Parts: sequence; C-alpha cells; structure tokens
Amino acid sequence: MPAGAAALESGSGVDPRSGLRFWFVRDEGMSLRLAQILPDQTRGFFLARGFSAAQSDRIALSCVFQTDFRNIATGDAPLAYDLREWVVRYRGESRRMKLRADWDREWREAGLAPGPRTAFEWALYPTTQIYQAGDYNWGLASFDLPPGARFDLELVWTRAGTRYRHVIRDMKCVEDRHMEPGGETAE
Amino acid sequence: MKRSARRRHARAGRGSLLGALLFLATAVPADEALMAPLAQPFAAPDFDLPCEGGGRCRLADYRGKVVLLNFWATWCPPCRAEMPSLERAWQKLGGKEVVVLAVNVGEDEDAIFAFQGDYPVSFPIPMDESGSVVKDFRVTGLPTTYLVTPDGRVTHRAMGTREWDSAAMLAWLRAQARPRQGGTGDGGAGRDRPDRAVLNGR
Repeated sequence: MPAGAAALESGSGVDPRSGLRFWFVRDEGMSLRLAQILPDQTRGFFLARGFSAAQSDRIALSCVFQTDFRNIATGDAPLAYDLREWVVRYRGESRRMKLRADWDREWREAGLAPGPRTAFEWALYPTTQIYQAGDYNWGLASFDLPPGARFDLELVWTRAGTRYRHVIRDMKCVEDRHMEPGGETAE
Repeated sequence: MKRSARRRHARAGRGSLLGALLFLATAVPADEALMAPLAQPFAAPDFDLPCEGGGRCRLADYRGKVVLLNFWATWCPPCRAEMPSLERAWQKLGGKEVVVLAVNVGEDEDAIFAFQGDYPVSFPIPMDESGSVVKDFRVTGLPTTYLVTPDGRVTHRAMGTREWDSAAMLAWLRAQARPRQGGTGDGGAGRDRPDRAVLNGR
C-alpha cells in the first residue's frame, strides 16, 4: 500500500481567529483538515439541540475536532474513505474513532429523544463517503479521548482504486478551558 | 407565537452558539464543479412535509420540472454559505423549468425562521424534522444537493457547496430540463461538463 503520493503535504498550525490548533493533509486530489474545538463550544451547540447538561458534557469532553475532507481533483477519480479503517494510537494502544453508530447506540440506551439524536447524527462527520470532484463534507469528528490527550491518527483513503495511508503524528485534544475575550492562545 | 416574537426567541437561544461554531469553518472556495452523475440513478422517494411558513411541500407537485433538491441545516456553515447563490439561482431560473427545494434536516420552524432573518430565501423549505426523508434519499452528509429529473429520477449529486448561479451551472441546469436539446441525459453514464461556449461565458 502506498504511503501516500510524493506530493503529499502534512502539517499543523494555529487558526488566527480562534487561536486553536489544526492539522492538515493535502495530496494530489485530496484535502483534509482537522481543527480543535473548545469543549465549551461543543457544550453550547448540543445544549441548544435538546441534550442535557450531562450529555452535552459527555460529547464536549470526548475530543471533538471540526473536520473538512474534500476531493479537490479536477479529474474524474472519486475519493473514498471509511472512518472505520482509521486508527487512533494513544498510549501504545490502537483504537477506532467514535463514530455515528457508536454514539447512536449510546444515545438509544440513554433514552435520548429522536430529535436530538437526529441533530447529533447530522452534526457528526459521515462514517463513509465517496467524493466526486469538487465534493466535500464538513462535520464533527470524535476521538473519545480525554482533554489534553496526545495521539497519532492513521488515515486511509482510496483514490482511483489505489489505497493510501498517512499518519498524522502528535495531534492533541484541546484542554477544557474557557474562551477569553479577544481570542485564545494555543499552547 | 407571532413570527417576530419567535424570531427573537430563536435568536436568543441559538445565535451566539452558532457564531461560536461558525468561526471555525474553513473558507469555502468558489467551486468550478457542477454536479456528478450518480453511478446508480434512482427513483426519487416522494415526500409530503410541512413547509416553513405554512402549507405542505410535496415533491410530486413538481413532477414535470427539474428539481434542485438541497438538504441542509442552519448550523452547517457550507449550507449557509451556498444559500445566497441558491436564492439567486432560484430567482434567475424563474421556477418554470427548474425549481429549488431546500429540505431542512432535523430542526424546528423557529430555528429555520431565525436563519431566514440573516439569509432570506424565497424558495420552498420542506422541514424534515425527524430526518426520515434525508435517509430515504441516502444522504450521508450536509449539504447534499440532488438533481431530480422531470420524470422523478435522481440522476446527479453535489456534496458541499456549489456556485448555483454561475453561468455554467445555470446553463447546465436549464439543459437538464431539455435533455434532447443539449442536456446530457446520460442517466449517469459519464461526468458532465459544461461545453466550451458556456465556460467562456463565465
């Protein structure tokens, strides 16, 4: 399996508006960006959508990233991924991301009403997708790790029948802290 | 509750939270892509949903026209970003051959009404609060827009934003309403591209 095309770029930075960190991978025809979101922002978002304080807290403290994955090719080759193939490496263990089906099981067991469950499902990043040229999605990705946790993320995607793999090293779940007026400063 | 009161209520509850999430959104570039043909076109599942503002929205009522069927939510920044171009496309297309239906997913009328204070649109907004219709259409992420042919087939899809009122897109959409006079009508056989004259007119 290729480790990625020679043109692959990967790195991280700080969003100048939020002061929060983001990680990106850009290859021929694909672009992925994972950006930290403060737990308070996640709490507020779900509190406004019918979740209890405890449930909103549960989501907010599960290491949520804003995710933007897109097919930036000009040709016809579709780009496909399946988040069930992505591997989170944390403290020497390999695990999966927490996906729509995992959360939905938890919400049903907790007796969450259909309305909030629907809102949650559509806010979370799709588990599998096939993007044609110009297609992309935007949504929340949850890693089910504690605030401040550092981890590596192994990505897998398929393009024109070829599978690619890349590891983003030393990603970090944002700490549970409050947004200061005028913006945050990343550590 | 009167609309003005509902708008204030909804804004107070959601505005600041939306703003907090919105600033994290990446910039959405102008996109040259049109819509991709589906490998397996399918018959559009009919729906009968409450319309924002009153009445019912039934897909079957638009049989005979091309329907640009958009699925969206107010909290989704790309969805918000493409609303103005969808509205302009709706205005330019005039509703004779091509109509726009924007199905809201999983939200109540207050949320949608508050949204319209910032993003006024005049096309119909069916409200799929339970999320059943979006599943019938096999949508996996927002925004997703389908093209439904006059005979009720779903043949093309766009995920993410598009410039719905670009010259190329408008010409392509009009062509879909008249497949024998220049539309691809391929039902998914190949990638659609605007012809050179259309591209030069951008």
